[in-house]
Amino acid sequence: MGHMIKLLDKPLRAFTTYSMIVLLCSIPAYFIIIDLIWVHEINEHNQLVAEATKKNLVRLNSDQTQLLAAISLWNTLQPETKIQPVRALKNDSTYNVYRKDNYNADGGYDRFQGLVTYVEINRQPYSLIVEANVEESYETIIAITAITILFFIILLVGFIKLNKNISKRLWAPFYHTLQQIKAFNLSDDKVVQFAPNTIIEFQELNDSIARLMEGNLSTFKRQKEFTENASHELQTPLAIVQSKLDLLIQDDSITADQSRLIEETNNALSRVSRINKNLLLLAKIENQQFLAKQSINMSSKLSVMLELLANLIETRKIAFQVHAECQVEANSTLTEIMLTNLLMNAIRYTCNDAKLDISLFSDKLVVSNAGTYSLEEQKLFLRFGSTSVQTPGSGLGLSIVKEICDRHGWIVSYNFTERRHSFTITFNSA
Amino acid sequence: MKVLIIEDELQLAANMVSYLSGQNYVCELASDYSQALAKISSYRYDCILLDLMLPGGNGLSILEELKRLKKEDGVIIISAKNALEDKISGLELGADDYLAKPFHLSELSARVFSVIRRRSFANANIIQHGELTVNLPAKIVEVCGKTVVLTKKEFELLIFFIGNRGRVISKSAIAEHLSGDLADMLDSHDFIYAHVKNLKKKLSDAGCGSYLKTLYGNGYKWDI
Repeated sequence: MGHMIKLLDKPLRAFTTYSMIVLLCSIPAYFIIIDLIWVHEINEHNQLVAEATKKNLVRLNSDQTQLLAAISLWNTLQPETKIQPVRALKNDSTYNVYRKDNYNADGGYDRFQGLVTYVEINRQPYSLIVEANVEESYETIIAITAITILFFIILLVGFIKLNKNISKRLWAPFYHTLQQIKAFNLSDDKVVQFAPNTIIEFQELNDSIARLMEGNLSTFKRQKEFTENASHELQTPLAIVQSKLDLLIQDDSITADQSRLIEETNNALSRVSRINKNLLLLAKIENQQFLAKQSINMSSKLSVMLELLANLIETRKIAFQVHAECQVEANSTLTEIMLTNLLMNAIRYTCNDAKLDISLFSDKLVVSNAGTYSLEEQKLFLRFGSTSVQTPGSGLGLSIVKEICDRHGWIVSYNFTERRHSFTITFNSA
Repeated sequence: MKVLIIEDELQLAANMVSYLSGQNYVCELASDYSQALAKISSYRYDCILLDLMLPGGNGLSILEELKRLKKEDGVIIISAKNALEDKISGLELGADDYLAKPFHLSELSARVFSVIRRRSFANANIIQHGELTVNLPAKIVEVCGKTVVLTKKEFELLIFFIGNRGRVISKSAIAEHLSGDLADMLDSHDFIYAHVKNLKKKLSDAGCGSYLKTLYGNGYKWDI
């Protein structure tokens, strides 16, 4: 399974990563474009200044002395331009430098874009340099990065907010469906009702789940009905066999051997009857045929049951301790069946001289007896999970206990400590 | 004593007739709803054994009909369903007892015996077997006029034997009779020995003849 994230966080992460990459890529792109525009515009500006200067110098039409004076004056007044004589005319060129600017108060480096152009005045070639201050690259990049980060934060906040809103509205039906499925319980025999949905996918999902649930419910119902019907149908043939055996032993000519065979058949038949009876009981519990609940006082219930049992278990020692009164809301018949099964189970596996402990607390009942080895807890409460040649019970007693506990929201558990088996029923303390 | 058996499963009905006839009951059989209805309206029975699931109708309606006719017949419901609601509604409609399938014929016979005795007049409630006298409502047992003190289980056992007079009763039938549903849980029926032994001893100590016979070590018979 690994790391689990919520469905809606997945696109959020993708969107966030994607927008981060796009914005990161945009930083150099913006920088390059802005710088190119800057340089282009400055070059154009330099060109214009240079052309105007050249034209004006030519138009002055002065003699050499006057010209030199004008150039010298120009060079003094215009620091970013420089006119000087050269040997020959050349093609125009541009340059880009970082230089300490004397006029800048903070004394930092400034960036300049320059144009070197040539002009011939009075048959003497001159070079004309025009410069203009350009925004420094690092300043541009800092500004762009800052703005990009700002926008990224705005995007992120927007994504999260939108995501929350979308999850609330768009995915609400999905989470509703999920809740319904979680609450679904096969044995409750209740079909989940989904609210109608305008979104096709959700409607299809709900329809499919409803179909699945109905299928499961009807299969489960049929299975329960089958168990109940099969058990019912078995009762009459069992009764016939039983009655025939009862008639057979009336025969005077029966030998001791035959009589023994009949008794053994009788025993096997009782076992079949009791398995059948218990299966029927389980089916009835599952089919919710024991719904009526009442307030039951556990200690008085147990006392009555122990009294009933007294005839059968006089040789065994039972210690019944009431640590606290225990009142439960439960079905009376089922509670009796559960207690009987639990007690008889313990009695059956207790040696004649061993002690059987029953302790009642306000929220739980503990039945424990001595034993030699631990039982398999996983199999213990399964139907026919514990049947073996050594245990001639119906194999259903403890699964009935479990079923009854499940019905009432109680918890039955088994543990083996200090060579004692103990079964604990924890009642709902709430 | 007349017993009407309303049961559609003919084999079972035949076995019931066979067993009960040996107990000196006169048995009649109705195998469907209309037959049953015809018989109950025409005759009077000491006890009616009523199967609830009948071809042609529900056994509970027969109970209602008996009530409508103001008949005093004793009724034992015999059902494969063993459903609590059926039991409760059956008893509310005036049935005397309820027996779930499968059952031992000896159990059936004992129930018929006690239903008939319960509905009889006071003098019929006292069973006289030679030197043994059993007062059913007072639960008093006397041998040659001397009271024998029996435990509840021993008394139940004695009535069970008397109700199955001359019949062999299997150990498992006794176990089920004494412990009810709890017999399901017991692997050994040894506890019966103790009760039977005590009963036998108390009766013979009081000078009662040994009517209770052990057969092949597997069953018992009350012979008189």
